[in-house]
Amino acid sequence: MTISRRNLVKMGIAAGAAVSIPSVLRAQTAPTAARTVRMVKSSDLSIFDPIFSAANITQEHGMAIYDTLFALDAKFMPQPQMVGKWGVSDDKKTYTFELRDALGWHDGTPVTAADCVASIRRWGEVSASGQMLMARASDISKKGDKTFTIALKEPVGLLLDILASPVGPCLFIMREKDASRPASEQVTTNIGSGPFKFNDALARPGASFTYDRNEKYVPRNEPSDGLAGGKVVKVDRVVWENIRDKQTALAALQAGEIDYFEEPSVDLLSVIESDPELVLEVLNKSGYDMYLRMNCLQKPFDNVKARQAMLYLIDQEAFMRAAIGNPEYFKTVTSWFGNGTPYTNDENTGWFKKGGNPEKAKQLFKEAGYSGEKVVILQPTDYQLFGNAAQFLAAEMRKIGVNAELAPSDLGGVRKRRAKKDPVETGGWSIFITSDSDYSRGEPHTNVTMTANGENAWYGWPKDDKYEALRAKWADVATLDERKSLARKMQKVYWDSVGTVLLGQYFAPTVRRRTLTGLIGMPDIFPMWNMQKAEA
Amino acid sequence: MAAYILRRMLSAIAVMAMVGIFVFLLLRLAPGDPADILAGDTATEEMVAGIRASLGLNDPLPVQFVYWVRHMLGGDFGISIFSGRPVLELISQRLEPTLSLSILTMILAVTVGVSFGILAAWRTGGLIDRLLVVFSALGYSVPVFVIGFFLIYFFAIRTHWLPVQGYKPFESGLGPWFVHLILPTVTLSLAYIAFIARVTRASMLEVLSEDYMRTAAAKGASSYAMLFHHALKNAGVPILTVIGISFAYLIGGVVLTETVFNIPGIGRLVVDAINNRDYPIIQSVLILASGMYVLINLTVDLAYTLIDPRIRY
Repeated sequence: MTISRRNLVKMGIAAGAAVSIPSVLRAQTAPTAARTVRMVKSSDLSIFDPIFSAANITQEHGMAIYDTLFALDAKFMPQPQMVGKWGVSDDKKTYTFELRDALGWHDGTPVTAADCVASIRRWGEVSASGQMLMARASDISKKGDKTFTIALKEPVGLLLDILASPVGPCLFIMREKDASRPASEQVTTNIGSGPFKFNDALARPGASFTYDRNEKYVPRNEPSDGLAGGKVVKVDRVVWENIRDKQTALAALQAGEIDYFEEPSVDLLSVIESDPELVLEVLNKSGYDMYLRMNCLQKPFDNVKARQAMLYLIDQEAFMRAAIGNPEYFKTVTSWFGNGTPYTNDENTGWFKKGGNPEKAKQLFKEAGYSGEKVVILQPTDYQLFGNAAQFLAAEMRKIGVNAELAPSDLGGVRKRRAKKDPVETGGWSIFITSDSDYSRGEPHTNVTMTANGENAWYGWPKDDKYEALRAKWADVATLDERKSLARKMQKVYWDSVGTVLLGQYFAPTVRRRTLTGLIGMPDIFPMWNMQKAEA
Repeated sequence: MAAYILRRMLSAIAVMAMVGIFVFLLLRLAPGDPADILAGDTATEEMVAGIRASLGLNDPLPVQFVYWVRHMLGGDFGISIFSGRPVLELISQRLEPTLSLSILTMILAVTVGVSFGILAAWRTGGLIDRLLVVFSALGYSVPVFVIGFFLIYFFAIRTHWLPVQGYKPFESGLGPWFVHLILPTVTLSLAYIAFIARVTRASMLEVLSEDYMRTAAAKGASSYAMLFHHALKNAGVPILTVIGISFAYLIGGVVLTETVFNIPGIGRLVVDAINNRDYPIIQSVLILASGMYVLINLTVDLAYTLIDPRIRY
């Protein structure tokens, strides 16, 4: 058999058509580009269970596909979300909640009170506020298909704030069969009742995740307000693209291949500002508070004078200039309760407020009996912000004669090593640097980094019984003014014992194409409802 | 021949077993463990301990090793600690982009590199030869990310001719698949073109100076016949060796190109897994990569017999 040139051409056309058929079919079923938003998030989603992991990206995944009983509005006040009606008994010990109508799981079954009860119990295993609630609850049970109650041993003034808290792990409501798993085991079914459905068929771990609009979701009637109000989804699909290289992400944004890019690096900001198609903005106006933790169990920071010396040493202005660079994106912060919470105050800050007093720091180290012991600073080399800050800190400490030594490793190595309580000679550590959202500093009852209960506290293990006694009262205090007063007392005690030294507050800008609008900025979490995309 | 292949396959199993033991121990002895990373930054020690226990990381190392080997021999490569998905599913998702990029790169590198090398050897000291020297120096010395961003700037941002990043699977159509691979292929192939061209040139020069080439010329053989029928065939063994080694290196070494062009390939899978200490993924990929490396070497060895009839196994 011979093949003529004409036959060859025919075969070529047929082969080309065959290869392109799948894309033709897909074009008919996939949403148009104008109804699809492509986002590059600040980190990769690798854990899908928002109760199992408090990582911001996992909480945002949870916010997309799950729903919450209550949610904070833009003024950080709790508002009902899945709950339709609620009431509290006269003795303030029994809360009754009734779910609103038309709540349904993505698998088509209705949301019930049993799902809520199981979800609260699972969340109560791992969340600091959940654990506190479980300790104070005498009973949590369903009273009907859509009604459940929380009975308390004593009134908890902050109950609704606790249920609405965006500090991870948030109280996401899961199906009873998912929520029945222990919190130490991941739920990976990704079936929620939220405004978006997780598209498992298009999931490419490490590369991209796709969320489709949940057409059956019935939003509340109120307008969108922070994380509260109507969750109206105005696009058909949202794709999270995991573009690891920030330069590539910016190029993709400039070329219109993506619509949104979270946390571009500082060196890219001038390029972004010069592009008229791009908008640079700070969505999370709470920002983050960077701080250093000292190992209070080991020398030299087992001595309070050495810890106070660090407060004198740190010049936040200089520190932030070195770590962040552009003064538009940082501030100094001296209140233990952050810069932007209702509890921000200046109690007991006068003595160190300006920082940058190396002579005083040197003197206090001397008074602490410091005699040249090695001070090991953990440096995550794959996390530029903290890595640079650690380097700057080491240089500042060496200037006053402290034998500071950097211990470089990746972030995984830092997390492993910081759990060691041993002296530095046997693999321990002296200092590491991390950050919290500024908002979370207004929740000392949920924020584990604000504890000071010795070896049961977060890494660094500061101990101050007086502070802990005050902190224990936080959730019971009924009014805002009383909590503000309590905050002042707690701060007064804390800055005397110094378990943590704040290094400054910074803001992470995001960049979007001008065609993408309606983004909601809240602490830690950027929800995906309400945003819309105009034709380019 | 069959006995040789069998021997080589058995040695491949031994190599994979050694890689398995080495990787398993290396991962467990390295600082950091997945429980710390899974639990997140604000996790308490109790939460980390609970996760560590649920992952079986508290079991003695020999118990963990035997468990892993037993499951792997049964075809179960385990579940990713982070995504909760089967490791084989994750690898299969990533294999296509890496193989696509590697194969296209090798096609381009071999075609251009061998041609360039032959031309340079044919006209030693001429313009093409000198161009090859300059090109080789550039191909070796300019890092992939510089070339990559340079190409992105001109061909994607300035002209919009090609996409900046991403990968379209083959099933989405030949056109989108190919278009998304043009820039990464060109970027990645430059160093390999330089390498293959240099080896081809050296090998051809050696053969061209042989007596039998002078005899062929004296007998009136055309330049084409001399180059392709007489010289290239005899110069083929070292060129084939270099191509084989390059391909094996390529599969494991595309991570930087995958990162610059956001191609979700095996390289990025492994780097992410190492950062997360996702043991089942790292172990499985390295075992499979070592098997593939041995297989490519075996294929190259067998291909020698096609080029040089004196070689027999």
